[in-house]
Amino acid sequence: MAERERFDTTVLIVGAGPAGLATALRLTQLIHQHNSEIDHGSRQGRKLSTEEICILEKGREIGSHLLSGAVMDPRALRELLPEFDSVEGPESAPIACPVARDEVYYLTERGQWKLPILPPFFHNSGNKIVSLNRLGRWLGEKVEQSGATVFAGFAGRELVYEEGRVTGVLTDDKGVDRAGNHKSNFEPGYHVRARITVLAEGSRGSLAKQLLANTPPSRIPPGRSNPQTYAVGVKELWEIPSGRIEPGTVIHSAGWPLRSDQFGGGWLYAMPEGMISVGLVSGLDYRDPRFDPHTAFQRYKTHPLIRRILEGGKLVKYGAKSIPEGGWYSLPPLSLSGTLLVGDTAGFLNSQRLKGIHLAIKSGMLAAETIYQAMAADDFSDERMSEYALRVENSWIREELWPVRNFHQAMQNGLLRGGVHVALQLLTGGRGLYARYPSRPGNEHMAKLLQEAENIQPPLVPDGKLTFSKTTDVFHSATRHEENQPSHLLIADTNICNTRCTVEYGNPCQNFCPAAVYEMVEGKQRREIHLNPSNCVHCKTCDIMDPYQIITWVPPEGGGGPSYENL
Amino acid sequence: MKILVCLKQVSAKESTLRLSEDSLHVRESDLSFEINEPDTFALEEALRLKEQLGGEVVVVSLGPARIQTSIREALAKGADRGIHIETENAESVDRTWAAGLIAAAVREEKFDLVLTGLQSDDLGTGQTGVILAEFLGLPHATIIMEIQIEESRIKAKRELEGGWFEWVEMPLPALLTIQSGLNKPRYASLLGIKKAKSKEMRRVTPVELGAEVSGTNALRLRKIYVPVKSKNTEFLDGTPKEAAAKLVERIRREIVSSPS
Repeated sequence: MAERERFDTTVLIVGAGPAGLATALRLTQLIHQHNSEIDHGSRQGRKLSTEEICILEKGREIGSHLLSGAVMDPRALRELLPEFDSVEGPESAPIACPVARDEVYYLTERGQWKLPILPPFFHNSGNKIVSLNRLGRWLGEKVEQSGATVFAGFAGRELVYEEGRVTGVLTDDKGVDRAGNHKSNFEPGYHVRARITVLAEGSRGSLAKQLLANTPPSRIPPGRSNPQTYAVGVKELWEIPSGRIEPGTVIHSAGWPLRSDQFGGGWLYAMPEGMISVGLVSGLDYRDPRFDPHTAFQRYKTHPLIRRILEGGKLVKYGAKSIPEGGWYSLPPLSLSGTLLVGDTAGFLNSQRLKGIHLAIKSGMLAAETIYQAMAADDFSDERMSEYALRVENSWIREELWPVRNFHQAMQNGLLRGGVHVALQLLTGGRGLYARYPSRPGNEHMAKLLQEAENIQPPLVPDGKLTFSKTTDVFHSATRHEENQPSHLLIADTNICNTRCTVEYGNPCQNFCPAAVYEMVEGKQRREIHLNPSNCVHCKTCDIMDPYQIITWVPPEGGGGPSYENL
Repeated sequence: MKILVCLKQVSAKESTLRLSEDSLHVRESDLSFEINEPDTFALEEALRLKEQLGGEVVVVSLGPARIQTSIREALAKGADRGIHIETENAESVDRTWAAGLIAAAVREEKFDLVLTGLQSDDLGTGQTGVILAEFLGLPHATIIMEIQIEESRIKAKRELEGGWFEWVEMPLPALLTIQSGLNKPRYASLLGIKKAKSKEMRRVTPVELGAEVSGTNALRLRKIYVPVKSKNTEFLDGTPKEAAAKLVERIRREIVSSPS
């Protein structure tokens, strides 16, 4: 490997999402407070600088890759920025509107049944409908004003270890062609060297995957040995004639078009000016290899409940993202040899309330408080950094996640069987029948083609008005990559794709990818795998759901990927 | 050599374009922004000339606060300082107004060479550069594919129609409008981005630039609209050979002769 230029910093944060930005912002607040206490003589010691904080973001801009539903519990944002919902000031966050009312439905193909009384976890009173993209952009501005530096368009490609400890990352090489040769504008990646590296990469982080693969089982916290399990959310933003649905209306649904043994559900959130967020979450632990989350979502929109709202409207944007669903028992070690894991990368998500933004922000704040103490004491030892895990244990994150620790595992086999367990868990403070409901990685749930010969759904022919093909939707994700670069989807052995997988699973990559990256095309003797990496919307579903676990998602040249304005 | 590069921030190509309520603009909240593509080639050419000949590269842009990200990007790639002319609106159709503001902001600086992109990806008038040349009293040439500096003169290769080119020569100082593709723009480096934070960015308002520009901005946009798409499919019948002959005839008659 060529010698890398080194770039030294104290704190490196990989990923400018809600968790990474909250880490940076909370840390700058603490540093400003620290310095002003020294100025006023109420504290001894050296001053700290916010310039010691660097953030890498693989998107072209802050927010480019941020996508969520999203109904946000404002609890954490209020702790971070108490003035965020003050009226029309510079401190006010871009909130679409407060939640006005909740509706929850169970759907069949033609029918709907509205829950007369909502379970407590579906109450959204006081919560806010937001675009995570816009919230991220707004937080990003605050971070940049505070003196920290955000390097947008730079991906963390590889962890760097020195004496067994992570000392930063290598950023992506830029200007490499498809065959791996340097182009005339080649710009080698840097070794960004830091005393602490915060992994805030979002769901299924590629660096966190490297880190955890290198972690001996003895480091897994006792009792938290469930693997992470995921879902994928597929979302569209629509503009409909205004006046059709009251802004602030929040609809959630279970049932159709998912099978009764599948985890997931749909949503529709109404915002001002006729803007609608609509989407479907499908558990990435389904059985049928032919299942296609994108097609299921297109079908979802044809249900009378949803069709009535969208018909005559216009598709504005599209996106997809995986979601960590495993909960408390799937949390990996939160501080590991020079790194802290925050937000979706760690798996801070309440799958019962369908919410994670507030936990991402809170976990970032707790990481920042740990890092601040380390900076003040000039001590970044593993022992000191492990205080982050204690802070999480003693915070409302645990209070919130502990009672739902068994929720996803119970629901893994769908609503009907899961409902009984969830009712029991509600009665027993989250325990249910067992102390810890175990789980398996989602890809292991996939059944072979022969076992799933029944229940074949007829193909869906998109009408171009209400339903769309994957390629039309990808166009609306505004995804752009430098075309002439090596593929960022690494398949360890394409022979498996072209032979075994074709027979055993029928190449499910074509189905689970919501961006038409994977295609089987006629080769000389057989159908062969063909990749369209430029379509990739960075959802990581392939890395998660591939039944042989031979696909590895790595970041492409920085700046590539979707552009999720208003998602 | 002291070089000025004019940058315009435009909506990114993949942006969703929805008309604003008053049909005078597209909705800004839907957009992400980037440096106008031909301008990135102009910047790269300027940076290369500086590397060859020494000197200074200054970038100028006009528009609201958001355009500072584009100026910073240019500084991160190696420009030495930036000038931000603060206006409410970057997309005024009156390019005389825009060129007038730029001229007023840079006249005193006596640049040896001014580079602009040949046109913008949003309005695409292709006027700002040449009007600016006129305001500054500089010779100019448009759609430039190659630049050679010889002492105090400049030779530039212009793109003409149909694969033809011409070389023009003029004394310095001069202004050239640059065609996309004449070089391969560099990436901003990590270190460059860090350094850019402390580089000079001069901010100036139209009022501070004085009377010279008041009274312009005379063009007014009445309305923008989305063109109605129409599509006609026609089947050419006959044997494949006959159909092919008919197709060739139609291409000759209708497509080749229609204005491009």
